[in-house]
Amino acid sequence: MSEQAVQEVALRVALERAIARQSDGYDQRARQYAGQLVGTKLDKTQIRGLETLASTTDKVSDITDWLKLRVGRDSGRDRWAKEGIGRDLVNELEGLRNDAKKIAQGLGQGDPDLERQVHLRLCREFLKHLAAHFEYLKAERER
Amino acid sequence: MSELEYLLKRKQSIAARSDRWQAEAARFADRHRDLLPKRITNAQLYGLGNVVRSARRYADIERFIRHQAEKAERAGRLDVQGYWNDLKDALGKLRGEAQALLKTLPLPVETDNRQALDALHRELAGLYVQHLIAHSLYQTAGAKEN
Repeated sequence: MSEQAVQEVALRVALERAIARQSDGYDQRARQYAGQLVGTKLDKTQIRGLETLASTTDKVSDITDWLKLRVGRDSGRDRWAKEGIGRDLVNELEGLRNDAKKIAQGLGQGDPDLERQVHLRLCREFLKHLAAHFEYLKAERER
Repeated sequence: MSELEYLLKRKQSIAARSDRWQAEAARFADRHRDLLPKRITNAQLYGLGNVVRSARRYADIERFIRHQAEKAERAGRLDVQGYWNDLKDALGKLRGEAQALLKTLPLPVETDNRQALDALHRELAGLYVQHLIAHSLYQTAGAKEN
């Protein structure tokens, strides 16, 4: 294995570790959102839809656009627009950019797109926690 | 560069630009918030979204926007005409972005440069419009909440 290849692997490992560490730190906040979301008329299909979108898209903007559209269309204010939950979530996800910036800077990598890609990964992690908590809390509530 | 490498690089570059242009599209919606949702309706925005999604050439998008501006002018709605003209300019500027992007993507041989540029421009315009529609609806909902 060449030295460059070894460096690439080391960087990848460091990146995965940093993302995993950050992800663990999101668990409680995601649980709070899930707690609010179970108080809306949203069901698990919609939350899963958001999680699936996040895990398949290559753009952070696709995730926030999706949420913005749902907030905009919720004229009954009993789903994504209820008590500002959708708006808070948009801000939360956009705010993860700061964490992504720190991780990218910490790795001292020259890739100009790294911060954006880390941001996307962090959004996926956050929404993964949120979807899991939502399903759990929803099931508890329906029991 | 192989066709696959080219396509992957193109996809990644478009994603990066789309994320970067989201804030600019949101600013555009913010600058024109007084027109939403009565002068520029949600139906008009959805119509724009449909045209952008189905357009085969960038000129189709431009024609639709020009038509909207002309209709507004005939109805004496100069503010609405201004909206469509501003949008035409904003999307037109993305051609420069598409040109710069194309230079960083060595095209596989036998690719028609003009067609590749137009396709890229159309794609960037589509993503800009996606951000614009999402933010406009979001903003309108926010105005109602207040």
